[in-house]
This record gives sequence, structure tokens and C-alpha cells, in this order.
Amino acid sequence: MSQIQARFFTEDKRYVVDDVPFSIPAASEVQDLSNVINKLLEAKNASHSKVDFDFLVRGQFLRTSLSTHMATEGISTEEVVEIEYVERITAPEPEECMMHDDWISSVDADAEWILTGSYDKTARIWSTEGKPAMTVAGHTDVVKDVAWVKREGLTSLLLTASLDQTVLLWEWNSERNKVKARHCCRGHAGSVDTISVDPTGTKVRLERARQKLKRQQRTPLMTLSGHSEAVSSVLWCDSEEVCSASWDHTIRIWDVDTGGMKTTLTGSKVFNCISYSPLCRRLASGSTDRHIRLWDPRTKDGSLVLLSLTSHTGWVTAVKWAPSHAHQLVSGSLDNLVKLWDTRSCKAPLYDLAAHEDKVFCVDWTESGLMLSGGADNKLYTYRYSAQQAEA
Amino acid sequence: MERALQQIFNFNRKPADEDKDDDLSDSEDSVYSGLEDSGSDSEEEEGSDDDEEEGSDDNDDKMKEKKEGEVSEEKKKHEYEHDSSDEEDIRNTVGNIPMEWYKDFPHIGYNLDGKKIYKPIRNKDELDDFLDKMENPEYWRTVHDKQTGSDVVLSDDQVELVNRLQRGQFGDVNFNECEPMVEFFSSDVMIHPVTNRPADKRSFIPSLTEKEKVSKLVHAIKMGWIKPRRVEDDGRGRYYNLWASEDSSILARHKMHLPAPKIPLPGHHESYNPPPEYLFTDEERALWEQQDPADRKLPFVPRKYSSLRQVPAFSQFIHERFERCLDLYLCPRQRKMRVNVNPEDLIPQLPKPKDLQPFPTTRSLVYRGHSGLVRSISVSPSGQWLASGSDDGSVRFWEVCSSRCMKTVQVGGAVKSVAWNPNPSVCLLAVALDSVVLILSPSLADKQVILSSERLLSAQQEGEEPAEGNGSVVWSEAEGEELNQGLRLKIQHPKAVHQVVWHAKGDYLASVMPDNTSHLQVYIHQLSRRRSQNPFSRNKGLVQCISFHPIRPYFFVATQRSIRIYNLVKQEMTKKLQTNSKWISSMAVHPGGDHVICGSYDCKLSWFDLDLSTKPYKMLRHHKKAVRGVAYHRLYPLFASASDDGSVIVCHGTVYNDLLQNPLIVPVKVLRGHVMTHDLGVLDVTFHPTQPWVFSSGADATICLFT
Repeated sequence: MSQIQARFFTEDKRYVVDDVPFSIPAASEVQDLSNVINKLLEAKNASHSKVDFDFLVRGQFLRTSLSTHMATEGISTEEVVEIEYVERITAPEPEECMMHDDWISSVDADAEWILTGSYDKTARIWSTEGKPAMTVAGHTDVVKDVAWVKREGLTSLLLTASLDQTVLLWEWNSERNKVKARHCCRGHAGSVDTISVDPTGTKVRLERARQKLKRQQRTPLMTLSGHSEAVSSVLWCDSEEVCSASWDHTIRIWDVDTGGMKTTLTGSKVFNCISYSPLCRRLASGSTDRHIRLWDPRTKDGSLVLLSLTSHTGWVTAVKWAPSHAHQLVSGSLDNLVKLWDTRSCKAPLYDLAAHEDKVFCVDWTESGLMLSGGADNKLYTYRYSAQQAEA
Repeated sequence: MERALQQIFNFNRKPADEDKDDDLSDSEDSVYSGLEDSGSDSEEEEGSDDDEEEGSDDNDDKMKEKKEGEVSEEKKKHEYEHDSSDEEDIRNTVGNIPMEWYKDFPHIGYNLDGKKIYKPIRNKDELDDFLDKMENPEYWRTVHDKQTGSDVVLSDDQVELVNRLQRGQFGDVNFNECEPMVEFFSSDVMIHPVTNRPADKRSFIPSLTEKEKVSKLVHAIKMGWIKPRRVEDDGRGRYYNLWASEDSSILARHKMHLPAPKIPLPGHHESYNPPPEYLFTDEERALWEQQDPADRKLPFVPRKYSSLRQVPAFSQFIHERFERCLDLYLCPRQRKMRVNVNPEDLIPQLPKPKDLQPFPTTRSLVYRGHSGLVRSISVSPSGQWLASGSDDGSVRFWEVCSSRCMKTVQVGGAVKSVAWNPNPSVCLLAVALDSVVLILSPSLADKQVILSSERLLSAQQEGEEPAEGNGSVVWSEAEGEELNQGLRLKIQHPKAVHQVVWHAKGDYLASVMPDNTSHLQVYIHQLSRRRSQNPFSRNKGLVQCISFHPIRPYFFVATQRSIRIYNLVKQEMTKKLQTNSKWISSMAVHPGGDHVICGSYDCKLSWFDLDLSTKPYKMLRHHKKAVRGVAYHRLYPLFASASDDGSVIVCHGTVYNDLLQNPLIVPVKVLRGHVMTHDLGVLDVTFHPTQPWVFSSGADATICLFT
């Protein structure tokens, strides 16, 4: 049995072991390595309780035996291998199931409240424990997207976008549980499919399904035209940049100060959704060809696909980066599955969440450790995931 | 002969010449002493033979005889005795001269001693000769010796010898001419070699003289004195193809000649005494008699006869020969030319489907909600909405990207056809059911668009009252509850409407009422003026479907077997396309307007290039069952056909602006997703206006989106 010289390290202060090379069997798998680390930690600290670890060899998760992995990655077995270990991400645990009257089109959650938009022309506010707090009714058509704008004490501002070509700005007082429509934003010549709120919470960017993007507070501040087909998703990268994905196979990045287009990323299929992570500065896009692609929005040539995550069997309708983790993202698809990904393990998702019985339309994370997904089975599922390892 | 004569001549002197015997004995001694002695002996004899003709020859013969004599001495001895007899002749030494030279002399020559030989006294004249002839019984054997001038009477032996020689026999009676030959060389390998001499040394070493010769030749060649022989070119002139000028067709015919097949040899059945198993049993015979003569395995009944004598004449002989002749001349015999063609080579060079992307490949969404078979679907020009009409009496509107049914309109009848107004600035849907065409305003668009479409519908109202040119079509407004559902207009037709299509501008729509007996099969309605007209005054057959040209004022009408193209401005027929199919089911016009595809109930899809011909440019027979619907994509070079076999076949069809280049048609994908219901599969197919996606509606009450 061949042996491999390996040095283990971690960034987690709780689980540090001595920085000495070990000789380990080449055929050892994740569980074997995890046992080794646990033994070492026990020797160091008698009160250590067993923890499952995952191992990274040169930034890639170890999924097979060590020798196979090194052979496929082309890593020499002659030298000492640096193996990083992290605490294994435990499977997200389903917590609540919130029943709606109709399909759920969108979800936005913050630390306390969950906002959902539904095909029954209403938006609903739920507590994170799954208790309905408020139903926001006012649209004359399907609510396609919802967003929290800001919260000041008990008063929150929220936005709902609908197929009736309007975006409504609501003020909601959680104590009195009253909701009041503050503004009605018109200007789209088509249904409004997606909205996005500036990180600072003062400007709203809203999107519509036809060719033009509008950015507005009460009346549109700016119209971003360029897409030749429906815009499916829009978001703020930072306070100066807006990113939009469209059915015309492009992702465009706009400068909000000038209203001009900065970069165009061209794909080959319709984009359904995008998400941007400020932690790793990557764009993730879900498209109709079942792939999740990662993009670098700063590239100038505009067509670089960094990584493609393939496991879904239907259109990818929702994708969201983890708010506190640089490598994790969650995706929802028409094949009824929600998948949790780690970009360091691009061959297969970390976990499949098969709670939904019908198409998944929206996913979201909260920083408090909740993952949410809603879809055509009228249910909004929440999952508790291990959010403590904010190593990035 | 001469020698024999000499012997004859000498015989009679033999007794007189005994004195020579010593010489003979000497010569015999010399035989024993060696060849040299016999040579000297022969010289001596030569001298004595001088008077004879060809004495030397004689001598040689004797030498040979002496050599042979070494083998049998006894015989030789005897021979020499004979020889010695003519040695002691009184020789005339004058030699071989004409004897008339001595005519005037008393002597005739000289003997060995130089004395004159005198002529015998010849006084015989003719008379004496005659008397002698008459009286002398020895006359016939008397010969005249010229050399001595005397007459000699031949003895009996001599006469016998002459007779033998005249008969061509050997002179010696005792000579056996048929003695067995002893072969010197034979095929038998003897134990002793012919010669046992060891090989010479010179046969082992290279010859110096030859070397010298060769070196001389080489030097001469080098110096150019000798030219090496040029290699002769045999290819030209010496040989030629004797049959080159012959007609190749004759040769080919000869080559193709096939001998007539042989009649099979008779078997046991035909025997006059066949083994019992070949004879018919009663059942077999009955069966044989029942069968048609053409079906019989044997053309006769095997029979058994006790002997060949009793076999009667073959009654079928003439018939059999006749059949044989018929076989020979009615059945042409020819060699089958097997062409060795690789089947791969026959397939035209088509690009791989992979290179022709994008095209729909997988079923992405299923739109469920209808309870009856979905006959017709249509996508809004924006690509956001999908309308479907079903046999359950409802028209549904779907959001394309989520498969959400946004709206259901109950129209109260099986919907035959739905068509979305292609003009993006109005949002209207035409629905055909029973004998009504409904105009729906689904209000699934921008408010401005909805307003403009309402305006279009109501424009007529302020003007003059609806006046129909022909009273058969009635326009009426929807009222009450129907208005809330989105119904705006009803166009009542005299007969059941099967199809409704819009003109590209969105103001005109045409409807089909198939009816074999009437010329009122097609109506063209103008929405803004609420006017209907029947463009055709004559019945050209059962109209199946119609279509407007996307750009030019042409109108396509498909009847059962052909497609007619009318110019609406000039009001005349410009072209008639022959489809070669039995019953057209559907038709689609390329967005460029120069190509038409046409599906038929006999499983065929025909592509027409209007610039090329009125015959199909290509016939695609990929479907197993009737083709129900065909569609072109508005932007991508794609077309699709839907069939009762439950599949949608997507083909790539690139059209070139270059008139010389034919369209490139490649089938790229078979899409399956519908469940067969009541033997019906897919009923309608349509493309998304902007994406390479195809929608299909099936008899299983679902609509599928393939992307």
C-alpha cells in the first residue's frame, strides 16, 4: 500500500493540529482522513468531541480516494501534499413549510422577516418561524418579484413588482401590522419581472420584461436600453453598477451614473437568473440549458465562463450566492430540486434538497442561517444550514 | 554391287589361283599381329585391286570387316578365303580407260609383269551370236568381260547371288539382318561408369584464356570500341492487340452471354421402377389430382413397371418441350451487375446536427390544464404568452416561462383554431369554433397595446352601420359576461370554420370553411372596417388550409392535393404547386416568403421552393403516421412537423439568398413527449417567435415546450 506525505492545515482556530507532515495511505478517503484529524485533536485536547471534516487539495474538495483525486488533478505524489480541512457542511435541515394559496414567484428574506410574492396577486410577510404576519394585496396581476428596501425600527419599506406593469412601494409597520402603499411606480411597457434594491436602500432598480431596464425612485430616473429581448433578472453589483440578464443570451453590466453599458457577457442560451457575490466577486447565472455558469464581471472580453455547474435536469430558474460564504451557492430548477453547491466541488452538488413537488421558482438565503425556496407547489420551505463557519 | 560382280567374275578362277593363298595366310597373321599390319596388307591389296573400280572403297570395307573380325575370327578367315579367289585374276593394268582405245591393237592391255594381254580371237558375227543364242543353253548366263574380251559363263551360285541382289536382299545368305541390337547407352544405370577418369584440374580453376578474352572485351567497351547491345523495345510494333478495333458492344454481349440453365437430371421419381417410398399413396394421389397443375410439386405421377419394355410413350413429351422452349425465351437471362457501392457513400454529405445548433432538444415545460385534446396553439408576438384552444370548449392563456395558466376563457364549443394577431402593437386572438370566429382581447400586454387593440375593434362603430356585401357573414359585438371574459367580436359564418389566420399586418384575417360543394369556402375579413368578402367565385376543391404571404400580397390556398397561390392585388392565380400527396393537412410559409412546407395525411412533408419549381424540392418521409401540423421558425433556420405518431421532428432548413444554391435541409431532432390518446399524437406545432423553442399540443390535453 503506497503512502503519501501530507501536511494538514486549517484556518479554523478550534481545530488546528501540529504542522508536521504525516504519511497516510494513498487509498484513504475522506472518512479516513477525518478520523486521523479527530485522533490528532483528541491527543491534543482530551475534551474534543468528534467532528466531521472535509478536505481540500489545492482548492478542490476531496470526493474520491486521495490517490485517484491526485491522479485526476495531476498532482505529484512525490512531494508533501498540503491538505486543508474544514468542518463538513452539514446537510440543511428542513424547518418550516409555509403554505400559500398559489404559486410562489419570489422570495426575499432578511434576518427577521420573509417576504414572498405569489401568483395570487399578493405579497406575504412571514416571520422566520413560519408565522404569517401580513398579506399585502393591491396588485391587479401576478406579483413577480418582491424586495425589502430598508427597515427602520418597526417600520419597513418593501417593494412588489407585478405583471400589471407597476411596482408598488409599501410601508409596513410590524407592530401595528399595517401596510400602506406609498408609491406606485409606473413606466414599464410590459410586465415587471424583477426588481432589485440598491445596497444602500435608497434607489430601486426595477426591471421589466421587455427590452428596457428602468431605474427609478418615483418616476424612472433612468432607462437602460439595450437588451433585445425580455430581461429576466437584474441586480446591483455595487452602488455604481447594475447587472442584468436577459433572454437575448447576454448579461450586461451598466454604469448607473452615466446609464451606459460597461460590459456584455454573451452566453449561448437564455438566462433565467443571475446572482452576484461580493465575497468572491463572481456572477452566477442559471440558464435554460440546465447549467449554472460562473462569470467574472470584470473581464473585458466578456465571454469567459469560469466554471459550469451541471447537475440539474431542467431550466435553472433561481440561483443565489450564500451571503456569508465565498464558495457556496444554492440553485433551484424546474426539475423540482434545490441544490446546494460549493464551487470547490464543481462536479456534483453538495446536497440535493428534494422537498418540492413541483417547479422551483425562487431561492434565498439569510445570514441567520436560513435557506428558503418556493415554487409551483405553493409551499415555501425553509432550511436551517450550518452558518457558523464564516471563514471567508 | 560391283564388288559382288567382281566376286562373281572371280569365282570361276578361284581354283586356278591357289598360289595366292600364302599371301592370304600372311594377311591373316597380320590380323592377329595388329591393325598396322593389316594396314600394310590392305596397301598390298590396293595394289592388286587397281584394276577394279573404287578399289579403295572395297579396301575400307575390308578394314571394317577385319575390325569386326576381332570379335569373330572364324568368320573372317572364311571371308578372306573368298576374297583371295579374285586376287589371283590376270589383271589388266591399263586402268579404267575406254577400252576402244585398244580397238586397233591385237592386245588389250598389260598384265602385272608388263606383258601384253592379247585379245581372244573374236570371230563371232551376228549370225553366230544368234545361233549361239538359239542353241547354247548356257547363253543366258554367259556375260562378256570387257577387260579381257572373253565370255564368261556364270555358275549357279553366281546366278543365285545376282537374283538375291536384284531382289534387294543381302548377298550373303547367312547374314541375319535382324540381329538384336546391343545398346551402348541405355536408361539402365550400370555399375561401371562409361568413363572413370577423374575430373581435370582445369575444370576447377578459372580459365586464364577466358579471363583474357573478357578483359579485352571490357577494355573495348570502356574505350568505346564496342557498344553494348541496346535493349530492344518489345512494347511497340512487335505485339499488338488483334481485337482492338473490334466493337466493344459485341464483346460486351459475348461477355454477357449466359448458357441456358440445364434441365434437372431425372431422379428416382422418374424411374420406371422407383423405390416404393417414391410411389404415391392414395392420399397423395388424391391431393395431386386436386391441386392446380401449377401448384403440383411433381408434374407427373411416379409409376412402377415390371420391365422397361412395358413403359409406354411419354404422353407429355410435346408439352414438356413446349414448356421448356417457353422457359428459354420468355425468361430473359442476364447477368446481374452487382454494383459495389458503399452504402455510406450514398448518403449525402450533410452537416452534423451538432453544428446546426441551436435547435430544441429536450422537453422543458409541460402546460397542463386542458381536459380535452388541444387542437391549436399560438404564441404571442412577444413570446411571453401562449394561447391554446381545446376540445373542452376553452381557450387558455399561458405564461411561457413558467407554464402558468394565466387565463381561461370558456367559449362554449370545441375550438378548432386559434391565432394570435402578429402585429405587436395590438393584442388580439382569433378563435375559430363551430361556425363562429371570435376575436378575443386577452389583455395580457401593455395598457397602451390593449387600448390600441380596443380602438381597432371599435373603430367601425362610429362609422356607417355594418354593411355586408354578402349577407352570409354576420358581425356582432360581444355583450355582458362575454365582454368581461375578453370576448370582443363574433363573426358568424354560414358553415363550420376550421381555420383562421391573420395577415402579417394584423388587420385582415382569413377563415376556412371546408365544403366540397360550394365556392364559399374562404372568407377574408377586415377587422378595422368589419367587412368580409369571399375572394373566390369558383370551387376548386376542398380547401384544407390557407395562409397569407408574409411580405407580398399573395394568398396561399391548399386544397386536397395542390396549393394555389393567388395574387390578391391582381386577383389572379400566379402558381399552382403539385404536392404529390393524397391529402394535405397543413401548410406553412417561410418568413422569407419563397418557400412553403406542406404536411399531408400520408405521412409526407414536402418542401417547395417557389423559385425553383411547382414540384416539391424535397419530400421528407420521417413520420410514421399522418402529419398534422407544420411550422417555420420566424428567425432561426428551423422548421418542425407534428404527427399522429406522437413525435415532433425538428429539421434545419437554411435558405440561401443566392438563387443557385438549394436550401439545405437536415433533420436534427425527434422530440417525443406526448402520450398517444385515441390514436392521435401531436395535433399542432408552433415555434417561439424569438427563441429556438418549439411548442407542441397533443391529444393528451397537454402542451409541451421543447428547448
